[in-house]
Amino acid sequence: MAADTLFQRITDYANRADPYPLYAELRENGVARQDDGSYLVGTYHEIAALLHDPRISSDRRQRTVPDGAAGTDEGVPPSFIGLDDPEHHRLRGMAMRSFGPPHTPDRIDGMHEDITRIVRDLLAGLADKERIDVVDDFAYPLPVTVICRLLGVPAEDEPRFREWSDAIVAGFDPTPDEDPAERQRAGTEARKTMALYLGDLAERRRGHPSGDMLSAFVNDAGPEGQLTPLETMATGVLLLIAGHETTVNLITNGMLTLLRHPDALARLRREPELMPLAVEELLRFEPPVQMLPQRTPLADIEVAGRTIPKGSPLILMLAAGNRDPQRFADADRFDPAREDNQHLGFGSGVHSCFGAPLARLETQIALHELIRHLDTPRLIEDPPEYRRSPVLRGPRHLLIGRG
Amino acid sequence: MHIVVDLNRCQGYAQCAFLAPGVFTMHGEESLLYTPVVPEEQRERVRRAVAACPVQAILVGEEAGTGAR
Repeated sequence: MAADTLFQRITDYANRADPYPLYAELRENGVARQDDGSYLVGTYHEIAALLHDPRISSDRRQRTVPDGAAGTDEGVPPSFIGLDDPEHHRLRGMAMRSFGPPHTPDRIDGMHEDITRIVRDLLAGLADKERIDVVDDFAYPLPVTVICRLLGVPAEDEPRFREWSDAIVAGFDPTPDEDPAERQRAGTEARKTMALYLGDLAERRRGHPSGDMLSAFVNDAGPEGQLTPLETMATGVLLLIAGHETTVNLITNGMLTLLRHPDALARLRREPELMPLAVEELLRFEPPVQMLPQRTPLADIEVAGRTIPKGSPLILMLAAGNRDPQRFADADRFDPAREDNQHLGFGSGVHSCFGAPLARLETQIALHELIRHLDTPRLIEDPPEYRRSPVLRGPRHLLIGRG
Repeated sequence: MHIVVDLNRCQGYAQCAFLAPGVFTMHGEESLLYTPVVPEEQRERVRRAVAACPVQAILVGEEAGTGAR
């Protein structure tokens, strides 16, 4: 089939369970122009170079084609994931102040016991179930509980923000064959609602800090000053969505991959110290964020011998780069002890994943405890039912039996 | 366990300083200090840090002992 329909085929729900043959086709085509004027890049070295290229913008407002997902000027401003330096750097740095080094180096390490306790409590609740849904029973509640504690959001409000989060994710789903206008409108509306909710939570902590990140945003001023109320809202929404929608896929894709590779599962049981390397391999082999759909060149740029015009939608297929045989030996093989593994699972460059250390720790602990808890787990349905999004890709349910 | 960080390769992603803050410390946004001889109780954390480094700049010797001393 023609390379100019690749994006349509990749986003087609029928291909969600196994997009990897399409990614191979994309790599063979180098840069693939789509008939709507957007460009796909799927080879490792080209993606890595573009992620470090200051001529590539993350701000959708730089696009010359109409782009509904950019939202409107009214409402909540873009968060740092959708901004360029210096604004991106300023906002990310201010958010980092209460999350990690140099200002708060012990935050993530200090959550180790908490995460382990949450994981064990979830598993204890499953002890008498013959069938487990890894998503609903385990991989979803864990990161949600963790991000709620970290931000200072009451976990009992989860049903409310789950609904908003679903609408926001659907709003930036780039699937071209559906009419996106209504989804984007609903997504913008949900983002506004979530922003007001988080803004209100943060304001109530002004002057009454409770040790969480929302408290820090409104009480703790660094050399760059403090986040404004609108910046607090935009940053809060970003972190809540990211904490909500990505780690669930990493854990679930991880368990699915281990069940499909019983040798790897057995090896991790014997050698639990391999888990950190195995999680890196999962980030390469089945990354929870499959693509970065919101890049735009600020000038005409040349990539692999083709010119991508200024203002064109540029889509970087991280999951395709992660399987590039030009970069990785035996790229389609899952090797839990792979040493040379500079994968693109968390992106690269200035926008590389803000929450990466937390996602790593949560997944390492979650998979370690889960495979210890289950003696002879088996997949009940393979492939499982997938979620809609081609960007944040992972199973909607993952049913396993105890043996 | 001994470690060496290739500071030419290090790009300041700070994953090590998140995951093993007792061994790796950021000073400002880019400069990294670390303890080359890893205490026993930090080994698991250092393994996490080594695996997480996006540029694979942390080199480990289980007993880099004699030469390094």
